[in-house]
Amino acid sequence: MKSALWPARKGERRATVLAGLILLQAMCALFFVGDVIEDFRVDGSGSDTHLILEAAVVLALLSGVAFLMVELRSLLARMSDMETGLSIARGQVVQVMQAFFEDWGLTNAEREVAVMILKGLDNDTIADVRNTASGTVRAQATSIYAKSATSGRAQFISLFVEELMVGEIGRDRSSDGGESIRIDPRLGEPKSQT
Amino acid sequence: MSGRASARDIAVWDPLVRLIHWTLAPTILLNSTILEEESTAHEWIGYTALGLVALRLVWALVGTKNARFSAFPPNPIRAIRYARAVISGDRTVHLSHNPLGSLMVYNIWLTVIALGVTGYMMTTIRYFGVDWVEAAHEIAFTWLMISVALHLAGVVFDTRRSGINLVRAMVNGRKSVPRGRPVE
Repeated sequence: MKSALWPARKGERRATVLAGLILLQAMCALFFVGDVIEDFRVDGSGSDTHLILEAAVVLALLSGVAFLMVELRSLLARMSDMETGLSIARGQVVQVMQAFFEDWGLTNAEREVAVMILKGLDNDTIADVRNTASGTVRAQATSIYAKSATSGRAQFISLFVEELMVGEIGRDRSSDGGESIRIDPRLGEPKSQT
Repeated sequence: MSGRASARDIAVWDPLVRLIHWTLAPTILLNSTILEEESTAHEWIGYTALGLVALRLVWALVGTKNARFSAFPPNPIRAIRYARAVISGDRTVHLSHNPLGSLMVYNIWLTVIALGVTGYMMTTIRYFGVDWVEAAHEIAFTWLMISVALHLAGVVFDTRRSGINLVRAMVNGRKSVPRGRPVE
C-alpha cells in the first residue's frame, strides 16, 4: 500500500513507464493530426513538402504508439503469467508440506512447530510464539527430525527446497507426480502426494 | 495462516487504463470549472480529452483482458439482471467493470466524444454560431456532469456494497477480493 503510485516491482515500473510513453506519444500524434487538418482547412491544399513531412511524423508517431502498445501488452501478459505461476507454486508448497506431515505422522503441535521451523524461526522464538518452554519446543523439534529421518534443522528444510527444485528441473509441465529423478537428501523415497 | 490470506490481491487495471482514467478526469474537471468557455486552453484540453478516449478505444481492442470491450460488453439486459441480483444480495465480484458500470463507461466515452465533436464544429466557419451545435454542446455538457455525478455515486455505492475499494483499484490497479467470493 505504501507505494500505491510508484510500484516497487521492476516489471510494474516498466509497465507504468511504457503506459506513460504511449499516452504522451499518442497525444503528440493527435497534435500533428490536428495540425494536418488545420493546414488543409486554412489553405486548401497545403504546401507539399510540409504536408509530406507532417504525414511522415504522424505515421512515425502512430507506429510508435502501436509498437509500444504491443510491447506493453506482452509485458503485462508475462507479468500475469509469473503471478499465476507463483500462486500455483504457493498452493503446491502447502500441499507438499501437508502431505509430508501426514506421511510422517506429526501431531498437530509438531506440525505447527515444523511450519515455524520452515519459516526460519529459532527454537526460542517458537517457544515465545507458542507460549511454551523452549525445552518443549526442542523436544518437539527433535521428534520432528526423527520422524522425518533428517539429522537436523538444515536437512529438514532442505527436504522441501529439494522438492521444489526437482519440480523445476526434472519435471516437465505436462503433469505432476510423473516419474522424475529425485535426489532425496535422506536417500529414501518420499511418497507421492495427491 | 496470517490475516492477509483472507483476501487476495488481483491485478485488474493495467497502467495504461489507469493513466488514461486519471488524465481524463482532470481534463473534464478543468474544462467544466476553471477554463473560460471560448479560450484556446478550453479547446486544447477538449481535444486532449477526445484523444484520450480515442486511445482508450484502441486499447479496448488490443489491450489487456480486463481493458477489452469483451470484458465489459455494453449490454442493458445484463445490466438490469445485475441490478436485480445486487438488490437481492448477490455478492459476485467483477474483475472488470460490473455490467451497470460498463454502461456508464460507454456513456461517458460517447458523451466526451459528442462534446469534442460539437466543440470542434464550433470552431469551423461552417458551423460557427449555428444554434443546434451550441445547444448540442450544452446538452452534452450537462449530461456529462450528471454522468460524472452518477459515476462517483456508483463507485461509492459499489465500494460499500462489495467491500472492494474501487478507487484504490483504479490507483494501484489491484482489487483485494475476499476469499470465497464468486468472481466474474
